[in-house]
Amino acid sequence: MRQWILPEYVEDILPAEARRIEMMRRRIMDLLWVHGYELVGPPLLEYVESLLSGSGGDTNLRMFKVVDQLSGRMMGLRADMTPQVARIDAHLLNRKGITRLCYAGSVLHTLPSGLTRTREPLQIGAELYGHSGLESDLEVQRLLLESLAIAGLPEIHLDLGHVAVFRGLVRGSGIPAELETELFEVLQAKDTDALKSLCAGLTKHVDTCAREALLLLPELYGDVEVLERARRFLPDYPEIRTALDELETVGEELNPLVDTLAFDLADLRGYHYHSGMVFAAYAGNSPNAIALGGRYDEVGKAFGRARPATGFSMDLRELSGLVQPGPSPRGILAPYIKGEKALEQKIVQLRNEGEIVVVELPGHERDQDMFNCDRKLVLEGGVWLTAGIEVDLNVGLEQ
Amino acid sequence: MMSITIALSKGRIFDDTAPLLKAAGIVALDDPETSRKLILATNRDNVRLIIVRASDVPTYVQYGAADMGIAGKDVLLEHGGAGLYQPLDLNIARCRMMVAVRDDFDYESAVGRGARVRVATKYFQTAREHFAEKGMHVDLIKLYGSMELAPLVGLADAIVDLVSSGNTLKANHLKAVEEIRPISARLVINQAALKLKREIIQPMLDAFSAAIPQ
Repeated sequence: MRQWILPEYVEDILPAEARRIEMMRRRIMDLLWVHGYELVGPPLLEYVESLLSGSGGDTNLRMFKVVDQLSGRMMGLRADMTPQVARIDAHLLNRKGITRLCYAGSVLHTLPSGLTRTREPLQIGAELYGHSGLESDLEVQRLLLESLAIAGLPEIHLDLGHVAVFRGLVRGSGIPAELETELFEVLQAKDTDALKSLCAGLTKHVDTCAREALLLLPELYGDVEVLERARRFLPDYPEIRTALDELETVGEELNPLVDTLAFDLADLRGYHYHSGMVFAAYAGNSPNAIALGGRYDEVGKAFGRARPATGFSMDLRELSGLVQPGPSPRGILAPYIKGEKALEQKIVQLRNEGEIVVVELPGHERDQDMFNCDRKLVLEGGVWLTAGIEVDLNVGLEQ
Repeated sequence: MMSITIALSKGRIFDDTAPLLKAAGIVALDDPETSRKLILATNRDNVRLIIVRASDVPTYVQYGAADMGIAGKDVLLEHGGAGLYQPLDLNIARCRMMVAVRDDFDYESAVGRGARVRVATKYFQTAREHFAEKGMHVDLIKLYGSMELAPLVGLADAIVDLVSSGNTLKANHLKAVEEIRPISARLVINQAALKLKREIIQPMLDAFSAAIPQ
């Protein structure tokens, strides 16, 4: 029996990667901090109803559940921190004006969202509450791009969408609510064939114009020319018009900051809780989006206080896998000499400068992992100095 | 240089796809039937083909090992389609997903009296959904091939399988009793690839959709 084997899609983070992830987390948190985002730490588990109320049921099957021995109620392990942060904003802080919050922590998924993905993503994100204008959408998206840049992913493709386009089409043309979910699913897959047969069934509910607009939606992706086509061919509902104008404005502002920028009017990820502009960032060879975000003004209502809200989140583990690892930092080896004040002072000084100083413990001098140290402290003319180490590669290989 | 990889399976799908690829200006430099290569170069530097099992095509595309692929709807239904766009029905490799039973098996009355039917199939998801929709209780038996044998040797009462001409059924004294859905091959695209490699993929999509056999 190999009882120590970890479950599938669950893994340890080992030193080199742990360090990369932690450095990335620190840099992003520092960036969020100087932009005025306050750190919050919601609990790893809480009652299922609370976790679900903000997510529109999207996360129900993705959530691990346990029974609370104290109350007998069902508790869930968070699968997404965003609804928790929305709850904090709605109830605990209760501020009138704008609240900016950020968070970083593990979330758990019952199923991995892909072959290369863990069931325990390390979610990091920022949320802005209390402002409904485009300025806050822009702030959050700029912040996402900056975060990705300091994480070492400067070349980003940004995809913008707007749930009001599909929602406006559904409400404005009177498509029955029970068909909305089905339409949503086929649009997500850009499955034009299934869409055609669904639309054929809609003849008695909606006019030809709305049906043609629905059929066109899966093709409405690409550069800014898409918005032109959308204006020409989608019905002229005020909701849709505003959405397209918003997309154009934000697109113009962000275009210089990204490698490529495109629009996708049929991308409806998180449709059940998003309410406005949504965005997804893609990088290099990643087979899926590396960061997601958007506006979700309705979520606060589930917690008793509707607040405009927008934000983004991403998985630090996934990000660290995409970044080319830099050279790992090397340390300085120091001998262990009891009562040697000058040596102790030198070690403190070096550590204050950010150097790694490893003290050889007595009796284990030869066991040191030499690979992490490329220098050592030597006494020369009564002064402790650092000197290079001749690394004997064969010693390490034998172990 | 930006390049793309297309996953497809040998045999019927490859043969029927070749004219579509040609319409998009892509010709394979090797014939998968005679070559043992799994990666086929094409006349275009930035396009290569990989030859995989039909049921593996969605997996390769979902995880970005291939940017796009051609897969039967039967395979896509089993896979679930997560992470994939399915923008085009290529209208090739057409057949039907059917329920079939032995010549002498009275399927209608078995359904009518609410009997629990044993169904052998390779297509678990499709079969489960179909019978659930009918409100039928079934016991599914997973097989990987030669489904037609199962009712003959008493392993199952019915099978769910692809039927094109119906000759195999006839030769084994089986009859098709229900059509679950028509099947044809679809173009599937990795969601990120469509965004990141649109300048190569979009013209191919347009060429394909213009060349689809009616």
